[in-house]
Amino acid sequence: MIKLTNIEKVYRTSTIETLALNNINIDIKKGDFVSIMGPSGCGKSTLLNVMGLLDEPSSGSVEIGGQQVGKYRDKELAHLRNQKIGFIFQSFHLINDLSVIDNVEIPLLYRPSTNKSRRDAAREALEKVGLSNRMKHFPTQLSGGQKQRVAIARAIVGNPEIILADEPTGNLDSAMGNEILNILLQLNAEGSTIIMVTHDESMAKKTHRLIRLFDGSQVS
Amino acid sequence: MIRHLIKLIWNKKRSHTLLIVEILASFLVLFGVMSLVTYNMGNYLKPIGFEYEKIWTINFSSNQDTTDVAGKMNLLYRKVAGYNEVESATRMSGNSPFSFSNSNTGISYKKTHTMSDIYNTDEHFAKTLGLNLIQGKWYGREDRVAKNTPVVINRATRDALFGTENPVGKVFDSENEDKWRIVGVVDYFKGKGEYTADKPAIFVLMDGKSGWEKTILAKVKPGTDANFEAKMIRELGAMAKDWTVEVTYMSDQRVNQHNFSLVPMIIFLIISVFLLINVAMGLFGILNLNIARRREEIGVRRALGATEGSIKSQFVGEMWVIAAFGIFIGLLFAVQFPIMSIFDLDPVIYIIAILLSVFIIFLIVTLCSYYPSRQAAKIQPAMALHEE
Repeated sequence: MIKLTNIEKVYRTSTIETLALNNINIDIKKGDFVSIMGPSGCGKSTLLNVMGLLDEPSSGSVEIGGQQVGKYRDKELAHLRNQKIGFIFQSFHLINDLSVIDNVEIPLLYRPSTNKSRRDAAREALEKVGLSNRMKHFPTQLSGGQKQRVAIARAIVGNPEIILADEPTGNLDSAMGNEILNILLQLNAEGSTIIMVTHDESMAKKTHRLIRLFDGSQVS
Repeated sequence: MIRHLIKLIWNKKRSHTLLIVEILASFLVLFGVMSLVTYNMGNYLKPIGFEYEKIWTINFSSNQDTTDVAGKMNLLYRKVAGYNEVESATRMSGNSPFSFSNSNTGISYKKTHTMSDIYNTDEHFAKTLGLNLIQGKWYGREDRVAKNTPVVINRATRDALFGTENPVGKVFDSENEDKWRIVGVVDYFKGKGEYTADKPAIFVLMDGKSGWEKTILAKVKPGTDANFEAKMIRELGAMAKDWTVEVTYMSDQRVNQHNFSLVPMIIFLIISVFLLINVAMGLFGILNLNIARRREEIGVRRALGATEGSIKSQFVGEMWVIAAFGIFIGLLFAVQFPIMSIFDLDPVIYIIAILLSVFIIFLIVTLCSYYPSRQAAKIQPAMALHEE
């Protein structure tokens, strides 16, 4: 599903060069639930961004669903992100000026769809995460756990094959965190491939596979 | 997407109120200016209807002299018409072409009534000014004995009073005389210049006994210079002692009239340019602030599948929606003008002005939002999301 070969990521400024990822080789199969762990600043989010086509590696190749994306242009990358990948972020990244259902609809705005089909899909996604009664609310009226559930609904509304979650429980208490993890486990059981960055060892243990990073290198 | 943008702007309408008000004000001023421009241009495109080059307007003022003014005017006319340098001369009332003097009257035929400019002229007027007769004839000396005063009307009077009927030979009523008989119709006659409307006009044959017609229009031959002008003024002054004689070139009077029409338009144009600059600066400010504040949103949208192009379209689109809100409120006012026939102008003028104003506002909004939107599109999603 996702294959990274010899990935290196170097951040350069005029005075300093930082190696964020060093010789990363990962092959994630369809239906996997992979967690990525490591200390802060070890390159976990950078790795997730490379997998999610939000960042370009300095060298190495990225393959998504069998397609080499190295030479893809902005339009093709955006299309791939929209069709195949769903993102969940630690700080939710909801748009406060839009209602819950309008937030969930966003990925569908970037593909051919009608108002009705978007609305129906968003409603279905919200029902799946148990938030159908909050559709008209605005993000500022929700708790952290509810916000993350909205973010999950937004990630799954377009039926992507891959879900990338960057510390999805990082801003939540343990009860809420478990609730979110259960939703992710459920989505994985339904066939989604999930890659989750986490600091929580107990959560990582519940996934199929654990990748550990240290100073940009893969240690397990 | 449009629905999404409308929702987005509507949900934060308070923060955009000032800009919406600015756009509304600009639209209204622009609508006023465009109405004026359209009206003036519409008039300008129609022929003026008479010649003005090489025509001198000679105005006489009898001052305190009240003795046989009409007789003296006849002599003065004959003197002017007799010069070799003068091709043709005519006498008329003080409201000569391009003068700042007006005279009008109400006229009616059957149950139709209209207001018309009225010019007292003689039989040489059409020839001197090169008027284009489209029906009938210009009145001549023989018409002086007619029972009803002979008049020539212009096309606008004909259309207003008689529609498609042939007006020649018809007798109609005026406010200040019993009956007038039409002997001919001239085409256009825009007595106050190209930028004025082709209003109804009537040329009444003067009787030459009242002494009111103290203006002589003289068409001079090519090459006639200021020496002749000085000689003529001297000789005319000698004939009419204690009178004032003033010669003006009709082409100069035309420029004065143009200024009279154009200056208000230019003033309004300057005001609207200032307002539009305000709008442009407001747009720049809001967009730059928006982009700085909404880097997270831009990052998320890019992560969820937005291309650089969609981000650019979104920000330009949002400004269009804001402009549309302002314009919509403005339209509620602007459409009252054609509906209620305010200022008695052709509704088409207002409709053109509305379309032009809408086009200009959207053009400015697009130009102003394009660059900041391009900057927004260039934001790296990974960076934007990392910053939060």
